[in-house]
Amino acid sequence: MTNLLEIKALCVNVDGQDILHDLDLTIPNGEVHTLLGPNGSGKTTLMMTIIGYPEYRVTNGQILFDGKDITTLDITERARLGIGISQQRPPTISGVKLKQVLDFIIANARQPVPDINELARAYKIEPFLDRDINAGLSGGEIKSSELFQLLIARPRFVMMDEPDSGVDLEAINIVGQMMNEIFARHHTIRTKERRTGLIITHTGNILDYIHADKAHLILDGYIGYTGNPHILLDQIREHGYGECARCELWRCR
Amino acid sequence: MENSTDLRQAADIDLNQFTTVPDTHRGVLVSPDQLEPGDAEVMAGVGVHVENEDRSGTYILQDFNPLCVPVQTKGLELLPIAVALKKYDWLRKKYCFKAVNADLDKYTLQCASAADPQGYFVHVKKGVKVPFPVQACLYIAQSGIAQTIHNIVILEEDSELQLITGCASRTGVGSAAHLGISEHFIGPKARFTNTMIHSWNPDVEVRSRSGTIVDAGGTFISNYISLRPSKSIQTNPRTWLNGEGASLKYLTIILGFGGSTIDTGGDVYLNGKNSSAELAHRAVCTGGRIYQRGLLTGNTPGCRAHIDCAGMVLDAGEDGFIEAVPGLKALHPDARMSHEASIGRIAPEQVAYLQSRGMSEREAISLLIRGFLDLDIEGLSPELDARIAEIADLAGHGEGI
Ligand SMILES: Nc1ncnc2c1ncn2[C@@H]1O[C@H](COP(=O)(O)OP(=O)(O)OP(=O)(O)O)[C@@H](O)[C@H]1O
Ligand SMILES: [Mg+2]
Repeated sequence: MTNLLEIKALCVNVDGQDILHDLDLTIPNGEVHTLLGPNGSGKTTLMMTIIGYPEYRVTNGQILFDGKDITTLDITERARLGIGISQQRPPTISGVKLKQVLDFIIANARQPVPDINELARAYKIEPFLDRDINAGLSGGEIKSSELFQLLIARPRFVMMDEPDSGVDLEAINIVGQMMNEIFARHHTIRTKERRTGLIITHTGNILDYIHADKAHLILDGYIGYTGNPHILLDQIREHGYGECARCELWRCR
Repeated sequence: MENSTDLRQAADIDLNQFTTVPDTHRGVLVSPDQLEPGDAEVMAGVGVHVENEDRSGTYILQDFNPLCVPVQTKGLELLPIAVALKKYDWLRKKYCFKAVNADLDKYTLQCASAADPQGYFVHVKKGVKVPFPVQACLYIAQSGIAQTIHNIVILEEDSELQLITGCASRTGVGSAAHLGISEHFIGPKARFTNTMIHSWNPDVEVRSRSGTIVDAGGTFISNYISLRPSKSIQTNPRTWLNGEGASLKYLTIILGFGGSTIDTGGDVYLNGKNSSAELAHRAVCTGGRIYQRGLLTGNTPGCRAHIDCAGMVLDAGEDGFIEAVPGLKALHPDARMSHEASIGRIAPEQVAYLQSRGMSEREAISLLIRGFLDLDIEGLSPELDARIAEIADLAGHGEGI
């Protein structure tokens, strides 16, 4: 199986501060991984660097997507290669409606797009279509709006940053459904159509709703453990992130 | 004495340098078919489509030559002002210079003293709802002239009219001036929508003065869009909401340009009980000086007024800026009036967000500018789309789509 994403020895500096150090990460085609780590460990930084936000400066290392070095491409180019994100805290954009962005996505879609009104109803997005992006939306509604855009865009590689934060117990079912839809994880779907991605979470709770093939643990801007999500999560739940740095799972730097 | 905004920006124009007399050697326009293709294109850019069937009337003034396409709608009259003044005695007596003083300043004096006034006269009879917009183009095709314009629009009780006025100059025209007086009389419960689009060459100077008087229950909606500003534009439309429940909605959109000075205002006198006014100024500065003003004066109980100035500075260059001065004057304790003003840049995280959905930087900035301008008059002017794309190019790093 080929690797869709391959990150080698990545160092990232934000605003004069080194945040990611010598980070390696590989995600094969068709797999969904999860990135676990405490607050401030560099999860969001990694996602924003992969999609290409210019304030996240790569000082060393490489990001390969589908075998191609994308380290110097801009956000648009990376998005058009098939990388999509759902942000932890996306901006509010007054004057631009969610519908306008969806229309753009549809107009530029390579694959046929299903009826968005029907989908919007199914995922309870309808009331937000004609609203300015994220304007006045609750925390949970923002997540739905983010995921809905990905559901329509169907990128080859999707990163979701804390997709369940601020989502209540009822809405989390819908969020879970959307995620499974985005990653094409339903049982009826053939393996080769499955999408690839990275789910970022500090609690790991969302993993009750979607299957992750592998987990990575990030501490202080460095990925030191990769393995079975359930084993890692059990360790974290039992000992906390503080212990992880010292536990036997953590590889020496 | 009524207070009004003091227009002090934009230098005095020496009117002696311009011709105001028609050059008799030039041909007279008798049909829109005679327009040169380039001219028709520029006119379309400011919303005047000479071949469009969805128009209730067309008036074109090319330099000093007026052309009126006969109107089919019953109860609507569209004439060159000179013809109307000869035809109707009451026009001079009851309406001429009743909404704009002839001696307001040297520019109005110039227009008022013209032997053969240019401009349009539109009259909508009682109860008539004009089905399609009436369009007018005030067009400068040669350098060195000063157009002196006098427009009068009268809407009788319970009538409705949409007017599109496009003002533009032929590609390549150098120094020229556009001086204008526009007087609008909106009868009881009548509704007048006036959309004016300007697109000038860099050496044209514009001084236009307009006055609108609104009767009880009447509505005045005014959209002013300056696409390609000239060397200087100075306008200060004044509106008297005299009747009970008279209302005004005013949207001004200025797309600035290096080297130009634009001073737009909007003085409103809320004299009618429960009258209301809502003014929105939007400016995008890519150089040049832009002044957004407006003074709302509340004189009666129950009147409501709001003025909102918002500016976006993209790349102001060395001398560019936006100055927003929304003004309120409450002369009655029950007047409810408010204002807000903000000036900002395009937020990079918003551009980045839209890029992460696959938009180019230029597409993202265009969308943000459109959103900022609050444009729901999309499709009115292809030139507007082109200008926004141009501005987006200037603002971004110039990468194509
Ligand atoms: N613009 C910035 N300037 C300075 N420091 C920053 C900036 N952005 C992020 N950081 C720092 O980088 C570190 C990693 O931040 P990041 O947002 O990637 O953490 P995270 O793992 O996503 O945390 P959380 O679980 O709270 O979302 C933090 O210490 C943060 O303060
Ligand atoms: Mg984060």
